[in-house]
Amino acid sequence: MTETAQQVQEEEIDLTAANEVIDKYQDMHGALMPVLQEIQEAYGYIPEETVHLTAERLNVYASQIYGVLTFYAQFHLEPRGKYIIRVCMGTACHVKGAGRIGDTIKEQLGVGHAETTEDLLFTAEYVACIGACGMAPVIMVNDATYGSITVQKTQEVVKKYQAMG
Amino acid sequence: MVNLTIDGKEVTVSKTATIYEAACEAGVHIPVLCYAKKLLPYGACRICLVEVEQMKGRLIPSCTTPVTEGMVVTTTSDEIVKVRKTVLEFLLVNHVVDCPVCDKGGECDLQDLSYEYEVVTNRFEGEKFDLPTDEVNPLIERNMNRCVLCGKCVRVCDEIVGYGSYSFINRGFETKIATAFDRGLNCEFCGQCVSMCPVGAILPRPFKFKARPWQLKEVDSVCGYCGNGCTITLGTKDKKVETIRFNDKTGVNDGNLCIRGRFGYSYVNSDERLTKPLIRKDGELVEASWDEALAAAVEGLKQAGSAAGVISGARLTNEELFLLKNLAAAIGTDNLDNSGGECYKGVTEGLQQTLGLQASTATFPQVENCDAVLSIRSDFYETHPVFGMVVNQAVRRNNAKLSVIADKRGKFTKLPNARTLLHKPGLEVNILNAMARVLLDEGLAKTERLNGVEELKGALADYAPETVAATTGVDAEAIKVAARELAAAENAAILLAYGLPYTAASKELGIAAANLALLTGIAGRPGSGLYLCGEKSNSQGAIDLGILPGAEGMGVQQMLTAATENQLKALYVVGEDMLSSYPDRDAVEQALSKVPFLVVQDIFMSPTAQKAHVVLPAASFAEKNGTVTNAERRLQQLRSAIPSPGEARTDFAILQGLLTGFGQDAAAAPADVFGQLCAATDQYRGIDLEMIGPQGYVWGGDILTPITRNLVPVAGTQPVDAEYQLLVGSSLYHSGTVSTHAKGPQAVVAEAYIEFGREDAKALNIQEGDLVKLRTDAGEIQAKAKVDRRLPQGVLFAPYHFGALKLNKLYRGQAAIPVQVG
Ligand code: SF4
Ligand code: SF4
Ligand code: SF4
Ligand code: FES
Ligand code: FES
Repeated sequence: MTETAQQVQEEEIDLTAANEVIDKYQDMHGALMPVLQEIQEAYGYIPEETVHLTAERLNVYASQIYGVLTFYAQFHLEPRGKYIIRVCMGTACHVKGAGRIGDTIKEQLGVGHAETTEDLLFTAEYVACIGACGMAPVIMVNDATYGSITVQKTQEVVKKYQAMG
Repeated sequence: MVNLTIDGKEVTVSKTATIYEAACEAGVHIPVLCYAKKLLPYGACRICLVEVEQMKGRLIPSCTTPVTEGMVVTTTSDEIVKVRKTVLEFLLVNHVVDCPVCDKGGECDLQDLSYEYEVVTNRFEGEKFDLPTDEVNPLIERNMNRCVLCGKCVRVCDEIVGYGSYSFINRGFETKIATAFDRGLNCEFCGQCVSMCPVGAILPRPFKFKARPWQLKEVDSVCGYCGNGCTITLGTKDKKVETIRFNDKTGVNDGNLCIRGRFGYSYVNSDERLTKPLIRKDGELVEASWDEALAAAVEGLKQAGSAAGVISGARLTNEELFLLKNLAAAIGTDNLDNSGGECYKGVTEGLQQTLGLQASTATFPQVENCDAVLSIRSDFYETHPVFGMVVNQAVRRNNAKLSVIADKRGKFTKLPNARTLLHKPGLEVNILNAMARVLLDEGLAKTERLNGVEELKGALADYAPETVAATTGVDAEAIKVAARELAAAENAAILLAYGLPYTAASKELGIAAANLALLTGIAGRPGSGLYLCGEKSNSQGAIDLGILPGAEGMGVQQMLTAATENQLKALYVVGEDMLSSYPDRDAVEQALSKVPFLVVQDIFMSPTAQKAHVVLPAASFAEKNGTVTNAERRLQQLRSAIPSPGEARTDFAILQGLLTGFGQDAAAAPADVFGQLCAATDQYRGIDLEMIGPQGYVWGGDILTPITRNLVPVAGTQPVDAEYQLLVGSSLYHSGTVSTHAKGPQAVVAEAYIEFGREDAKALNIQEGDLVKLRTDAGEIQAKAKVDRRLPQGVLFAPYHFGALKLNKLYRGQAAIPVQVG
């Protein structure tokens, strides 16, 4: 396989962490999932070059790894923000105006569903019911839940995290 | 065996058969989509559902369900038809119905099934797929809007090809087949996925809009490229080869091909083909009539008599080679040889001295059932790709232990659990010797009937694994394990390839490999085999028919020297571009310039032909009838599918013409000559054309028993001490020099390159595509750099197919060439 310019560029990524993960699992059978999970933990997402590295070292096809990565929602192929804002689009939240909350975030940060701000601070995600319908509409920022949220409150929350940097 | 009833018919089948296979045997048709004979059972599409009385209450997928005793199967009922129709309706929900412009139209399983089950309306409604077509590469187009997700492409590329281009990605409605990161296809372009796809989702681009399938005339023949000898079916229209058809019914390759066989056919239609005889007049090659040209050739060769030389390529048919040999006799010369005259010595001298044979001892399919495989020197995936696929199946399906003695990594080294004995260039014999020593030291050798055990033991004194490890850079333990595995295996195979770019230590390698085959009992044991695989489609035939120097005769290298020293009066070269492909270009150049009379017979105006006094335009493999013998001794029939361009004639016809000039009658047709050559050739005696059926005919039978069992001591070599060494070899995408005239291979690898490992590229500050120079005392070459991961540090690689590179200025048959970079 000839390396494309793209791959060469990707090489700027420091592969030490990925190599360490693979070292741990090298001789284990069926180690692909844990390897990918830990690589994601280390980098926050799965950089392309780590896929090629994993393919080579675990002797699986890159195509196969890509299949796994796109099948499970837990994997991300693009860098993700430090803060993941989950906007619930479940029925209850939808009825209570979740759409507007999504729009607000888009206006404020310029990112819609599954998009990440250029400074890698925020990733927005529209999700199905997160089980807090009583407080609809709801958003979550990483592990913190914000219920009965309004446009104004959304703006405040975002600002708070922006300030934290 | 198991007895069962299918639609009222009683059938007896093997107990490993599935219901579907049993039905096929009983002549009962069950529709399938995701099933393929050569792939593992999958069971995804549900079109093949049947009823089994013993399993009432649900429908059973016939393609995955094994037969059991007394089973009563029904393959059609109202319910079954209803379910099949539903399956089709579901498939047609998102499928764009492109049939009028789809190249698959007329032989598409989905189209045929929809017709058979009269799916005129659809109860379901849904969005049509709207995915962009992948047409980044020039050979294979992928239109995933037509995909029925049968997974055959994914499976064939993994299970058989071992490349792994595809995977299912995403889920639900979004599920589709994609490459890694959903990019354009960039693979080895063997086209196996094209041939497996039941619909028009993966298509050969060169064939786009060329013909409807039913307009094609199909002709079964044999691939004209390598010694693998794959059966191919030419699809022709209007006297042109338009495509290579998928055919898993005849031949030994299960319809598998490599890029050369599948996409390398276009050179036969090339505008650059020679179409008229040429004669040199006043220093210029000018067109001439056949009569003139033949008369001139006959006259020149006659005059030279015993001082004439005849050099052949190994792609002529057996019949043509036989006539060529007769012609040499008619000229009165013993100077006859083929293929550079060195590379085949592993067979003609190596195996001869040890086993008393000059051929592989077993057939390719037997390798599938091997428990251990030792591959030496070349990566078979590059030299004999389809044999490589057989090894892949041994590894994947039979858990064969694969050891690869190699100077660079390759596809073999990536197969599951492959053990790579990566060594410094040119030291294969040392490692084979060490393995022999391990067998003898550890009492694993089967020495009972062998001659020369003590001598060999003595000669191996210096080849303790540890010593060899230090010289070669291979781990001593790996050598031991590889040897032990080979000895322990019930069925084992040893593989060695030879050819023009692999001339170094040819005889020594043949001997060392044969020693191992004797010590392990592999030679002659049913199920096991020693394979020496020639580069060209009829390399084995050339050996069988004795296209070799006669008792008093000179081989190629001696002829060249003789020519340079004005001792050779005439040279007749058939089907070889010596200047481009023979080792030591300067020597060839000098010889060709000096020889007073040169006749070249070829299909292209090669650099060699340009030096000729008479040029005779010949026919390609697609225009010929005759037989060829592949590397497993299998004779197969070439069948003419198209006429030759212009006045070009088959080598057979040309040789007949020349023989007539010598006052000899040559039999009128290849079939008659076949009879003569069989009578004259020990190995072929008793064979007649009728015996060469769809699977060909293997002379000597599946297993060739050694005639002698002589162990022969053979010395290894010392590593070359140089910062950079250049390996010369074959690239997967090409074969000899002919493929450089074919659009398919050219589309992927258009020109020569010099390959660097990543570390070296970094150290030398070389990027992919940079123009780089290599120098030795003998000269200098220049080409674009290719950067890859397979080369060890200090080792470079260049493919030998491209005459323009003049690689053979540096390459003189060495195992590795010390070079300076820059
Ligand atoms: S052409 Fe061959 S290597 Fe390429 S994807 Fe198809 S099967 Fe795989
Ligand atoms: S592309 Fe063809 S072979 Fe591959 S899954 Fe789709 S229909 Fe099957
Ligand atoms: S080049 Fe060799 S392996 Fe490839 S298709 Fe032809 S005979 Fe088969
Ligand atoms: S719908 Fe938003 S929390 Fe349930
Ligand atoms: S052919 Fe049997 S399930 Fe597809």
